[in-house]
Amino acid sequence: MSGRHDTHVLIVGGGATGGGLAHDLALRGLRVTLLERGEVTSGTSGRHHGLLHSGARYAVGDREAGVECIQENAILKRIAPGTFECNDGLFVAVCDEDLEYLEPLVEGCIGAGIPVQRLSAVEALLLEPNLNPELKAAVRVPDATVDPMRLILRFFATARHNGADIRPYMEVIGLLCHDGVVSGAAVRDHVTGKEGEIHADLVVNAAGPWSEKVAAMAGAEVPMTPSPGVLLALRGRYCNMVINRMHKSGDGDIVVPQRGLSIVGTTSWVVEDPDELSVPEDHVERMYAEGSKLIPALRHAERRAAWSAARPLVGSAGAASGRELSRTFQTFDHAEKDGIEGFVTITGGKATTLRGMAELCADVVCRKLGIDEPCRTHETVLLPHTAYYSEVVAA
Amino acid sequence: MTTSVSTQQETRRFRVYRYKRGDGGERFDEFEVPVGPHTTVLDALRWIQRHRDPSLALRHSCLHASCGTCGVQVDGREALACVCAVRDQGAQITVEPLANLPVLTDLVVEMHGFFERFPHAHPIIRSSGAPADADDGEVHLEGTHEITLDVPSAVPLHHHPHHDRHRAAPPGADFVRLEDCIECGLCLSACPVAATSHDYVGPAALAAAERLLEEPRGVRREDVLAWASRPEAVWRCHVGFECTKACPADAIPAERIMALRRELMFGGPDDEESKR
Amino acid sequence: MSATDKLPGTAEREQPGPIRHKGPGPAESGWVDPRRRGHGGRALALHRVTGLVIVVYLYLHLGVLSMLLIGSSAWGSFLSLVTAKSFLALEVVLIAAVLFHGLNGIRVALVGSGLAVSRERAMFWAGTAIGTAAVIFAALHILGAL
Repeated sequence: MSGRHDTHVLIVGGGATGGGLAHDLALRGLRVTLLERGEVTSGTSGRHHGLLHSGARYAVGDREAGVECIQENAILKRIAPGTFECNDGLFVAVCDEDLEYLEPLVEGCIGAGIPVQRLSAVEALLLEPNLNPELKAAVRVPDATVDPMRLILRFFATARHNGADIRPYMEVIGLLCHDGVVSGAAVRDHVTGKEGEIHADLVVNAAGPWSEKVAAMAGAEVPMTPSPGVLLALRGRYCNMVINRMHKSGDGDIVVPQRGLSIVGTTSWVVEDPDELSVPEDHVERMYAEGSKLIPALRHAERRAAWSAARPLVGSAGAASGRELSRTFQTFDHAEKDGIEGFVTITGGKATTLRGMAELCADVVCRKLGIDEPCRTHETVLLPHTAYYSEVVAA
Repeated sequence: MTTSVSTQQETRRFRVYRYKRGDGGERFDEFEVPVGPHTTVLDALRWIQRHRDPSLALRHSCLHASCGTCGVQVDGREALACVCAVRDQGAQITVEPLANLPVLTDLVVEMHGFFERFPHAHPIIRSSGAPADADDGEVHLEGTHEITLDVPSAVPLHHHPHHDRHRAAPPGADFVRLEDCIECGLCLSACPVAATSHDYVGPAALAAAERLLEEPRGVRREDVLAWASRPEAVWRCHVGFECTKACPADAIPAERIMALRRELMFGGPDDEESKR
Repeated sequence: MSATDKLPGTAEREQPGPIRHKGPGPAESGWVDPRRRGHGGRALALHRVTGLVIVVYLYLHLGVLSMLLIGSSAWGSFLSLVTAKSFLALEVVLIAAVLFHGLNGIRVALVGSGLAVSRERAMFWAGTAIGTAAVIFAALHILGAL
């Protein structure tokens, strides 16, 4: 399957976006090289709480995002079986004020095509005995838990076995740009310490919150607002289903079970540099406080880790907290936008929609390169994540 | 995730193993790193990467002990760097890559050999059972002999579903969850037998096989037992228990290896009955 | 993929890298280093060392017994050797080795068959206590009797 087309695409960035795109393009028969400065998924993609969105969280404020989520949710469960804690999720009302959100939530879900079921407090407590006993009502939606790194590794594994060259520890230190045409990248290999160059027919910038920095290497502008949030992992598996607070998106409104841990998230602020992320202790305290409103036992659970990850929000600075910017993704063809040929950026988005993002970007890439190949990622079952580490058998 | 440099000026000396291919040398570099009350070894290493030496290669992903990529040896003991607190270490901290796997560069080892040892492409989803009970501190392994681990009561763990048969399952409760094992390789690094034999499949692979006996998920029992009963598999273990000691994820590989050996020695085709 | 073959480090990544082991010395001696290990790893190392000691002792013992075939003068010089204090002290060491190997052996045999696994650490410390008491008792009698 590898090299059916001679066209060579270079992808900068080894996160969910890069992995999804490498898989899609490799399936379409293009030659793909992907460069990542660290381990794959070591940027934002590996760090999220592991929620596979049903879309219910967006159903009220952002219906388009809700529809995207439920569609991708179903596709991912089909192409990556055995990678999800498929236990559904609950939106839980713990006070009367929360109840005001119930009807809009149910209507929003129905409107976006998200399966939704109303539950009484008793039914919810039977399913999840550790929930706040004061809870008023709940709604069940098809959320799931995913191991963030391992899901993405399945895309990388399949891409590798279809001929893509996935190259971690290879940092892009500059883009080769001459007369408004990007022809490749200057690289530094962290395995040997040596520098070199690689040429390609098209370079795709999939660097997440670092997209602005990478685009600037070619003189292109991609306005990004990296928006970190704090997450807290607590020892103990207190729920099997994802537990969401039944109100508008806010701090600490979700508890995601992940193996023997309970992950509480998250907060939101904006930064300039996605490499400089702090973990303010008051945010950690807020996670404990909000999380224990959903599951009281979390108040005394032992802290396993507290960390932050930067959401790759597209849009200019000026947004106060980051929650106002849209969570859908964008593809920039820099030929149209900045007059620079051979360079495309894909950024934004969230983990659940990685495959859909990759499809749209791959369509743009193929169109630019004059290649007519349909997308097959929605129906191709991915290799297990362990295949990423195994020898590639020549096709 | 920076250290709180503004609030604390305490520093620690880090001795970090370095290796770049092509120039042959293995060496240790030293760095003074500012640390705070919650700084982890990984925080410190990433600080070094950003502020002192961008050529330092590190492996990490989830930052919360769930992906298993950041395994290193800290002062000769295996740890996940992302949850290894600097405040628990001494004034000088030596960080080296894991043992018993080939080094790719600096603190990164090649995991190809680790995954090659596993039986089949092992499933990572298992049945979950009832969630943690806030007062319970026991975890049970299936088998004719109850293996109980003492854990502090502040760390509740799930019940294995086979031991919940006296407790009525709540409606719709066919819950699943990810396996405990995060494939970090700390057990293989700690194992004294793995240091002498590169053929030994190692604790993680054997524990994965025992999990397949506990919960087959479509794999045949005879295949698992045949795979395990080889000289380089379960019989190569010499009861060192270093693996469970090193394991950051409660996967209890040593106990699982012993359970596997018990199955091979005392189990049989009609063992299904004796296990109940 | 000629483009990517030109990437720096391509050839080097193919080569096998160095394998670190715990402790000093060649990789194959990794188990001997008892530092930075738990009680289980130390017990394993000591079990192997005491096993070697016992085997060496067995050969020595057989060698000595074969001296009896030579005659009474050989037996006489042998007796003066084995009643020397330094030799008796070595006998105490031998007793310690045999006790450790035997008691730990019971622990390994039980635990390694999947029995009493949860009491593995308790057995180690109980065996250490019993063995230490027995060695002290033996030392007092063997050396104290001089």
